[in-house]
Amino acid sequence: MSVRSADDSCTGPSGACVAEGRWNFSVALGAGVRTNPLVGGEDIPLVLVPHVSYYGKRFFLDDLDLGFTLADNDANTLSLIASPGYDRVYFYRTDLQNFFLTGYTAAGAPSYLYAKTAPAGAEVSAKVTPRPRRITYLAGPEWTFKYEEITAQLDLLHEITGEDHGNEIRAAVGLPILKSKGTLSANVGITWNDAAIVNYYYGEPAIYRGGASLDPFAKLAYTRALSSKWRFDAFTEYERLGSAIASSPIVDKHSVTTVFLGAVYAF
Amino acid sequence: MRSKAILSRLALGWLVYGLGSLARSQAGGAVDGTDEDIRLTLSPRVCTLALNDKQCETQVHASWQAAHEESLCLVILDRPNVKRCWEHYSQGTYSIELVFTEDVVFQLKDLDLQRVMASEVLRVIREAIRYRHRRREPWNIFD
Repeated sequence: MSVRSADDSCTGPSGACVAEGRWNFSVALGAGVRTNPLVGGEDIPLVLVPHVSYYGKRFFLDDLDLGFTLADNDANTLSLIASPGYDRVYFYRTDLQNFFLTGYTAAGAPSYLYAKTAPAGAEVSAKVTPRPRRITYLAGPEWTFKYEEITAQLDLLHEITGEDHGNEIRAAVGLPILKSKGTLSANVGITWNDAAIVNYYYGEPAIYRGGASLDPFAKLAYTRALSSKWRFDAFTEYERLGSAIASSPIVDKHSVTTVFLGAVYAF
Repeated sequence: MRSKAILSRLALGWLVYGLGSLARSQAGGAVDGTDEDIRLTLSPRVCTLALNDKQCETQVHASWQAAHEESLCLVILDRPNVKRCWEHYSQGTYSIELVFTEDVVFQLKDLDLQRVMASEVLRVIREAIRYRHRRREPWNIFD
């Protein structure tokens, strides 16, 4: 099977293309925050965010994601990927995803969680004993396709680490909306989790059991190269949590907002 | 007599054609931009980029020699800020610190910068680097 097609335009380094067989390291320095929707959950600071990736001929590593590319050309890329379950970051500051989101933090797992005892908005809560949410990995096909300036992506994932056996769909569309010295781009998409995943993170035995959740998000990002090594990055992202998550007694916010302003240095 | 005249005309024709061809080839040489009396040399002549190198950064030493005194300028193609001229010299040297990712073309031109008198290329040779599409991940905060 050929990985490349005849119209492959990746002939040199660019924003869309990377060299095979080479490690890529970068670090973002700046100020930002990702809100934590859990009751009493601390927001996640964005100050020093490392990024590492490696692309072989077919294999790739992208922070904590692993992948194997089956086909790749200018219009379509089909890969099999494995990606960690994301929601654990709200429960454990030491989750490795938080390392790649926020850099090192010494905070550990919460000794307890708060649960709402009244409808959202009321200032009443009670402690519930936390149960472990282990690191999970989901795996499945990832299809990325490009039409002119529009890029879309679809992931169909199944949990493979035997914790919740759930399914997740990630879908997004992105396009640059302004290109001058920098690029302003917009992404919109959804994350759909089935009830197994929702309840693994947000269910409370004998208290709450949710169904599937559809979480739409929108992101606006601006990036501008400052030199061959430095670039300026700013973005804001808003994710609306589906009602099955937002109705959980351990969740008191209906959305997650992320903002960041800073510089990225590529080694 | 008639056949002699025809032979003479043919001979004259070949002579005119031959001279014309010679003149055209000389003119073509000038258009090609080299004058064999002027020799331009570069050091180094090649920059090899390893897998992890993004660009060449090196001091380049250019020197030229001519059989006769010349008035000319050394320029680098697509770098209008680089220009070093000599008037009535038969040789010259020039050193410059360059950062480049593609071949760099050095040219010796007349003072009007109209005629290329000699040209040399500092070549960039890359290790066989293969490129592929970077993964896009809209969920990633820095993608």
